[in-house]
Amino acid sequence: MNYVIIGNSAAGVKCAETIREVDRQGNITIITDEAYHAYSKCLLPDYLSGDRDEDTIRIRNLDFYSQNRITTYFGVKAQKINPAQKIVALENGKTIPYDKLLIATGSRSFIPPIPGIEGENIFGLRNLDDAKKILQALPGVRRAVVIGGGFVGLEAAYALYSRGVELTVVEKLPQILPSQFDAKAAKILEKDMLCEGIRIITGNGIKEIINPGIWQKMFGKKGKGVRLEDGETLKCELIIVATGTKANTELVQGTAIKVNRGIVVDEFMQTDEPDIYAAGDVVETIDAVTGQRKLTPIWPNAVVQGRIAGLNMAGIQKPYTALVGMQNAVEFREIPAIAAGLTEAGEGLEEIVIENQAQNKYKKLVMKDNRLVGMILVGDIRQAGVYNTLIKNKIDISRNKEFLFKEDFNFGYFLA
Amino acid sequence: MKEIFVDLDKCVGCLTCTLACAAEHSNSKDIVGAMLEKVRSRIAVESVGGKPVPLMCRHCEEPACVDACMTGAMQKDKVTGIVTNEGHEQKCVGCWMCIMACPYGVITPVEGETRLALKCDRCGGKEVPACVASCPQGALIYDEAKVVAELRRHNAAQLAMSKAV
Ligand SMILES: Cc1cc2nc3c(=O)[nH]c(=O)nc-3n(C[C@H](O)[C@H](O)[C@H](O)COP(=O)(O)OP(=O)(O)OC[C@H]3O[C@@H](n4cnc5c(N)ncnc54)[C@H](O)[C@@H]3O)c2cc1C
Ligand code: SF4
Ligand code: SF4
Repeated sequence: MNYVIIGNSAAGVKCAETIREVDRQGNITIITDEAYHAYSKCLLPDYLSGDRDEDTIRIRNLDFYSQNRITTYFGVKAQKINPAQKIVALENGKTIPYDKLLIATGSRSFIPPIPGIEGENIFGLRNLDDAKKILQALPGVRRAVVIGGGFVGLEAAYALYSRGVELTVVEKLPQILPSQFDAKAAKILEKDMLCEGIRIITGNGIKEIINPGIWQKMFGKKGKGVRLEDGETLKCELIIVATGTKANTELVQGTAIKVNRGIVVDEFMQTDEPDIYAAGDVVETIDAVTGQRKLTPIWPNAVVQGRIAGLNMAGIQKPYTALVGMQNAVEFREIPAIAAGLTEAGEGLEEIVIENQAQNKYKKLVMKDNRLVGMILVGDIRQAGVYNTLIKNKIDISRNKEFLFKEDFNFGYFLA
Repeated sequence: MKEIFVDLDKCVGCLTCTLACAAEHSNSKDIVGAMLEKVRSRIAVESVGGKPVPLMCRHCEEPACVDACMTGAMQKDKVTGIVTNEGHEQKCVGCWMCIMACPYGVITPVEGETRLALKCDRCGGKEVPACVASCPQGALIYDEAKVVAELRRHNAAQLAMSKAV
């Protein structure tokens, strides 16, 4: 059996590892366009700040590929898939035959069409090469602007700030972390970053980026500028674009595989083409809370999907049970924060909020028909997993609703 | 594979297990030393409506914490079944992804000079874990799941929840 995996990250690595556990004989091949041993993209901010280096962002030991007898093509892009002939064509001209194929190509930075965005010293932060380029550009950078106040933007800002760069984060929407945190939680985290010394501008988009040549002509100075929608300009020498991601679905163009915002898979992580599976940031799966198909580009989901894909590829039928979309924002200074599921009020939703401003604590639980459907925890996150399980498994909480709001809520309430 | 089970009817909330756990994970290996070293227990005895409930890691078959760990630090040993984020080449960053994933809420975030997600490591494979050995009431049992199945049936809520997760 020839198993071929495209993508050497959360989903791809877990898939390969899982296949090897259940199939000692089969040939496993991993193809990746990055030239590195598997590492964690979530640790790139730590790499930027200097807290970790190339050796300490690796997610598996150096002998991982040899131990698991995995053939690797590093630094080679897979160019095309031919489902009829069951081959993958690489950009170097080589073709690789497969019996079972996994597409775990992840996602890339989405670069919005802002005038001037192709200029120098403007980077996304998605892979190790991006991080290396940012570090190379750092000497001579006094001020940086981060476009996008989501997760990656704030983490990048914090990382560069710790290197002594002056940081401004610009977010178009009225609050930071707009996709899952509510205004109150976002405010607590924003205050925390402001106290640290990071400047945050919300409710203001970017009109254009003025690159050095023009900047010098206009203002007679070196460096570049970011012009905001309200006309204000921010001076800086470096810009990080963190306005979201886009699934890497190009590989399946021209095949029968259905693609919306990501590749559509069934509960066995199989695509519309026989023997082709997909997992991770590149796929759309059913969300446990909404029941809707969507991208959930987070690490734990990519790993679980990789494992389920691996089992099914190796002939062990096992369905993927829907997971909850969640975010955690703990890397920002001192206040840990986690959000999962539905976190804004809506039709038929009941929400209960408990806050303690002095302690920077905030807890919001969102319920529907006696089921927990969403949560935000700021300050105290210890029981996040218990709440998350209640959401995921749609457990009826009518009998123990009052427990959930107790200061000392814990799993024990289900036992005693 | 052996697991640690709790007989809730027997637990009187004396906290001996938490002291034994701290001692076991201290340099000095005794309770006083553990207090001086400020070692934390990896097992918690929660009070639920006045009733003591010991909570600790179950070293799950398919551990959600391992799936969630973004550094690769959290691993399940293929031979011993122990789930731990210590002693591996990959080091914990304290991102608390595992805390968000563990259905039992048994990982403690430890902040400080180095951040660490602190959890039961089953005393690194000791024949009988320190908490079990210390419990004066025999409320902690270390045995195969089927041996303890009868006891488990005792508690409907636990069964319902463990089936659900
Ligand atoms: C800075 C940053 C911080 C993050 N922090 C968190 C966090 O705290 N928590 C969290 O849950 N998630 C976080 N994430 C998201 C998380 O990293 C992703 O969800 C996860 O990496 C997805 O894994 P994956 O295997 O699906 O794809 P990816 O990690 O995107 O990997 C896909 C790989 O496939 C390669 N590839 C693509 N196309 C081809 C091709 N044609 N041929 C060969 N190779 C190809 C890509 O180069 C890439 O290496 C973060 C992401 C970033 C960028
Ligand atoms: S920490 Fe939680 S998820 Fe991980 S093995 Fe223990 S009980 Fe299971
Ligand atoms: S806190 Fe540590 S063990 Fe937990 S997920 Fe993060 S790195 Fe892994």
